[in-house]
Amino acid sequence: MKRLGIVLIAVVSAFLFSSCGYNKMVELDEQVTSSWAQVENVYQRRADLIPNLVNTVKGYASHEQETLEGVIEARSKATSVNIDLEKLTPETLQQFNQAQDGLSSALSRLMVVVERYPDLKANQNFLDLQAQLEGTENRIAVERRKFNQTTQTYNAYIRKFPRVIYAGWFGFDKKSYFEAQQGAEKAPEVQF
Amino acid sequence: MKKLIILLFVLVGTVTSLMAQIPDRPVPPRLVNDFAGLLQKGEVKNMENALEQFARQTSTQIVVVTVPDLEGYAPGDFAQQIGEKWGVGQKGDDNGLVILLKPKTNDSRGEVFVATGYGLEGVLPDAIVNREIVDNEMIPRFKNNDYYGGLATGINVIMDITRGEYTAQQYQEKVSRGGSAGIPFFIILFVLFISLFGRSRRRRFYTGGSSLPFWMAMGMMSGGHRSSGSFGNFSSGGGGFGGFGGGSFGGGGAGGSW
Repeated sequence: MKRLGIVLIAVVSAFLFSSCGYNKMVELDEQVTSSWAQVENVYQRRADLIPNLVNTVKGYASHEQETLEGVIEARSKATSVNIDLEKLTPETLQQFNQAQDGLSSALSRLMVVVERYPDLKANQNFLDLQAQLEGTENRIAVERRKFNQTTQTYNAYIRKFPRVIYAGWFGFDKKSYFEAQQGAEKAPEVQF
Repeated sequence: MKKLIILLFVLVGTVTSLMAQIPDRPVPPRLVNDFAGLLQKGEVKNMENALEQFARQTSTQIVVVTVPDLEGYAPGDFAQQIGEKWGVGQKGDDNGLVILLKPKTNDSRGEVFVATGYGLEGVLPDAIVNREIVDNEMIPRFKNNDYYGGLATGINVIMDITRGEYTAQQYQEKVSRGGSAGIPFFIILFVLFISLFGRSRRRRFYTGGSSLPFWMAMGMMSGGHRSSGSFGNFSSGGGGFGGFGGGSFGGGGAGGSW
């Protein structure tokens, strides 16, 4: 009888310690949440750079009103799309993507335009802003990739046996990925 | 379900094959990795010694990588992926830095990129890296094919700027604090187990022979906790720098071409 009690304690504690992967699921879920926060963080960083950039460019290239307004408009559109991770579906993610891509293309148009202003390109303030903007674009690419990686780990974990049976009971559902931007598979053309 | 598993394997397979182009972490760990053969032996040794000393003093790890070809990656992407894959810098502090250099050849431009770990982005903002290090120090020398001079002066500037940010002592204190946090929990568990088992079984198990599995379990549990994330990879020769610490990179830094 006593022996049975010990076996019972051992079995129960084994379950307590292993937790059937529940703790691991929570951990991975938190990782996805934090990597999504990082994604939003770097996009916010880009949005924060823009007013300063636009003001600097305006001082030298006031004729480019249209391009500058395009950037400001795309920025306000991009910052208005905020997603709660709880509601992260392929559709909302695509919406978020579209708004941010709009800002990316408006910014690249602006960068093409500034090529025509040698004074601006010699301005140290502008050069610093340009370096920051490039760095931010790198960070966006990195954080998107990390988000996809953590999401992949999470999805793979919850969809494997035996978790696939009970992950859904606790609300661990498959999460969506970032997809490659439309046309991103083509390298941008560079002309000299 | 079977299809899904196969798909998973295929996915993982493609991911790893894409990653295969990023060079593997050097064994034993080195801070100067001249894959393109731009530096002389003595130069590599000098630089390695200086960087190892800096890493021992400050726990900040600076890695130099030269490659003959970027394999189609953007320089910033390549440098970030090296930093992340090798784990340059200390885990938690993320105070690693990767200097990636691709020399100019007849049909391609020279590229340099200084990638900063998360923890160095504050002290080395992109604009500073771009202006003070890449544009002012490195590229003018690289243009004259003085690769060692460009790297060395760039590294000196980086060292001057980052020296105060992290110190090895701070890092050690943090590690020992983090390490001891798990112990009280196990002491409590231990006491609990002893009182549980001890009371009912005292007479028979007092000599302790059968409690071995319990001890082994304890050892395994605590061991699993302590070893998470560090690779305890100490190189023996020439002082060394303690191996890469598992730092992480977020795409910070700046670069240029000539």
